[in-house]
Amino acid sequence: MHEMSIAMNIVNIACKEAQKEDAKSIASIEIDIGKLSGVMLDSLKFCYDSACKGTLAEGSELLVNELPALARCKTCEHSFEIDSFMALCPECESYEIDILQGRELKLNAVSVN
Amino acid sequence: MCDTCGCGAGSTTFTKHGEEHHHHGDGHGHSHDHDHPHDHSHTHDHSHDRTIAIEQDVLGENNLLAQRNRGYFEAKNVFCLNLVSSPGSGKTTLLEKTLVALKDDLPSAVIEGDQQTMNDADRVAATGVPVLQINTGNGCHLDAEMIHTAYGELKLEENSILFIENVGNLVCPALFDLGEDKKVVVISVTEGEDKPIKYPTMFDAADICIINKIDLLPYVQFDVEKCKEYALQVNHHLDFFELSATTGEGMDAWYSWLRESLKR
Repeated sequence: MHEMSIAMNIVNIACKEAQKEDAKSIASIEIDIGKLSGVMLDSLKFCYDSACKGTLAEGSELLVNELPALARCKTCEHSFEIDSFMALCPECESYEIDILQGRELKLNAVSVN
Repeated sequence: MCDTCGCGAGSTTFTKHGEEHHHHGDGHGHSHDHDHPHDHSHTHDHSHDRTIAIEQDVLGENNLLAQRNRGYFEAKNVFCLNLVSSPGSGKTTLLEKTLVALKDDLPSAVIEGDQQTMNDADRVAATGVPVLQINTGNGCHLDAEMIHTAYGELKLEENSILFIENVGNLVCPALFDLGEDKKVVVISVTEGEDKPIKYPTMFDAADICIINKIDLLPYVQFDVEKCKEYALQVNHHLDFFELSATTGEGMDAWYSWLRESLKR
């Protein structure tokens, strides 16, 4: 269950930044999660509330932007969206693809008051 | 990054083989000072909502520490491997055999990761190689800070190999860079050949794939070629070793690769 560590990292980074700004509380935290990030969104949301307890982020909302995964075929250079790591190039059916986007796990912004 | 309760002390312990006492890791990255009172005499209104742009990797702190570990290893010419697999794939047996085989010409050290027990450290210590056991308590993976603490205690030799045996778990350790040169995923032929596509995140993160227990191939339904094909579908950069740590079959190629890798 690495989602608990991930949730705690998110809350810790947000709280540090909010403190720097002298904020009273955090209303929401906005994150980017790539489709192939290896994080289960449901369990992350489940862990998030516990991670927020006793911090500036208690009661805050987690806003998630799910990023699609994008790849480029090494053989024919075609770019396309993929659902999993095992994707096949729709043009030339090669498995040799480079993943361009989809592994993200990024904290974008924190709304405070 | 204490997985259990978020407390600073954490339940992680570090124990060197042969030493009875162990100690807890120091106060994992996160701060606990969010509730301290602010006695500011000046008044300014903060009640309006505002948004702070952050743009940080969620695992940035771990990644930074991992890079620090990597720099340390590079400076000492320590070739570091992070061994990951599901429980029971034979990582510890592979290590035992490898350490004995390399003993005369290559100094090694081992960091063992398990939730509980000193069992693996005891097995490694029997080979005469320095070993430190990390018990993560309820934690499901090792992180860069644990490795930093661990190698501080081990006192690594220059021009040596550091093997890190991660917690047996094919999911969580994929996300946590430890500062290793190569991530090695071990799969045994008693598992399903479709493991690479069932747990693609780990195979995507790995550099090397070891297919272990090949001496058992006559007795199990495991198609090695199919397994490699699945793994390559996930990550076409993977290099493979097919071996049996128990019988020694295929181990020479693995040893040669380790010797070559350290030279670089």
